[in-house]
Amino acid sequence: MGAVNIWEKMLNLDRRWIFLGIGIISIVFFLVGFGMPVTTTKEVENIFDFVNELGPDDAIFIGFDFAPGTQAENMPMAVAVLRHAFHNNIPVFMTAIVPLGQGMAVSALNYVTDPAIDGHYERVLFEDWADYREAGITNREDIIAAWERDGNVLPEGALGWVFEGRDYALLGYLPLFHLVILGMTNSIETQFPVDYHGNPIGEMPMLKEHKSLRDVDLAVTNAASGACTYWITYAREKIGLPIAFGVTGVMATDYYPYIQSGQIIGQMGGLRGAAEYEVLLQENGITATTDKAFRGMDVQSAEHIFIILLIVIGNIAYFAGGFHKKTRLKGRG
Amino acid sequence: MKRTVPLMIVMVGGILMIIQYFIPHQYSLIVFDNYLEWAPIVGAFALILGVGSLTRLHSHKIRRRAKNWQYSWAVLIPLFGMPFFALIMPESLGGGTDVHGVHDFLFMHVQVPIQATMFSLLAFYIASAAFRAFRAKSALATVLLLAAVVVMLGQVPIGAIFGRWLPETGLWILRYPNLAAKRAIMLGVGFGMLATNLKIIFGVERNWLGGAGK
Repeated sequence: MGAVNIWEKMLNLDRRWIFLGIGIISIVFFLVGFGMPVTTTKEVENIFDFVNELGPDDAIFIGFDFAPGTQAENMPMAVAVLRHAFHNNIPVFMTAIVPLGQGMAVSALNYVTDPAIDGHYERVLFEDWADYREAGITNREDIIAAWERDGNVLPEGALGWVFEGRDYALLGYLPLFHLVILGMTNSIETQFPVDYHGNPIGEMPMLKEHKSLRDVDLAVTNAASGACTYWITYAREKIGLPIAFGVTGVMATDYYPYIQSGQIIGQMGGLRGAAEYEVLLQENGITATTDKAFRGMDVQSAEHIFIILLIVIGNIAYFAGGFHKKTRLKGRG
Repeated sequence: MKRTVPLMIVMVGGILMIIQYFIPHQYSLIVFDNYLEWAPIVGAFALILGVGSLTRLHSHKIRRRAKNWQYSWAVLIPLFGMPFFALIMPESLGGGTDVHGVHDFLFMHVQVPIQATMFSLLAFYIASAAFRAFRAKSALATVLLLAAVVVMLGQVPIGAIFGRWLPETGLWILRYPNLAAKRAIMLGVGFGMLATNLKIIFGVERNWLGGAGK
């Protein structure tokens, strides 16, 4: 009787103990990282290799299609792709399917161009290099040469210059984004006459070279909802634009059919996917270190082990306490 | 009239857009461009309707001192406050959407932490739910339990400690059995959507008309 009580107690464990366990594990493993090695999968390698093949004559879209709730998972993957693009001087159009995604895009850009972080990119705003545009200097190499000739020096720790309108354009959010994607298959400028800051995008050199989605080489949508499939339905199927997904862990299982069918080139699933991209960036000398997603994998490892232990304990109590017999009798009755 | 006009608009619009998609002719593109211009305008009216009805609902709750009426202020103040700070308040006073403005401050220091906190609570509830739900009560439940454990361990670096087979088995489950099940579900949902859309376009399904459909 006494033994049964112990099993019963274990089965009915107060969930506050579980909450406490998760809380302590999260904090401890966040503070004391072990840096366990993350192996890469072909789903993420495919995206990395595709981006790695692109250069200044190409262009990509990065969709910040998530709200702050999932930024722990979605932000590192968006930041990793943004860093990769900046490293290879690939022009980047930044958009958002959801209103709050616009703020996420701003945050990502601020993070990658934050002078306080070693390995940042030094941002030059659109209005700051207007004189060069007026003088007809729009080639990236020429802009940098003219910019540095005028006394601007790349700060120590910075990896390079990024010019707004030449290297990136923050287009932001528009409602009914599926229609926006459809519209951009004909013209990006008709959908976004101005960028997030109100700069006319028609004057941006990167737009003059990439007028519509047909001139773009890849769209990476970092999403927390099924809205990411807009890019497949309206861009991939209509004009054949290559698409890559960066989705939350719980969504990742949903999109494997799109990988097998070739409708997306790859997928970063959850924090793990982002960590893999960070590892690939480091292994290929694009960044000196890994970033937040890699650090988060230690916490995730510990939490998964904790959850599995709970499952094992629950099942031991279930069988040892004889509850499986009761369930069976109940089921037959 | 109340019923026929909306049904006709849906039928003509629906058929036109189906035909347009498959005919890449110049006139077809003109129809398409017009649609792209008009749809967001129509959508903007829905926004007005949404904000209007939300305001009406919560202002009524406050006036009538309905249950939990205080929370209605938490809806109405940000609903009008955020656009005010972003669009109306002068930049000299911290208005606009710049990094140093009130709007950006509230977004970064109120909205972002609130949403991140809400979502992170999932980790706690998932752990509790996994403890209670994953029981080997039957053969199928045992398969689900084992698959969950293998995928969970395979997805994190610590899983490799048990051998390469574990992450590889986890990936195999995701790439094949999971894919097959998802594809079956997606096809079912897809055909269902197609059938429903055709029923709406041809006026067979009229629930979307609300009371007017009866």
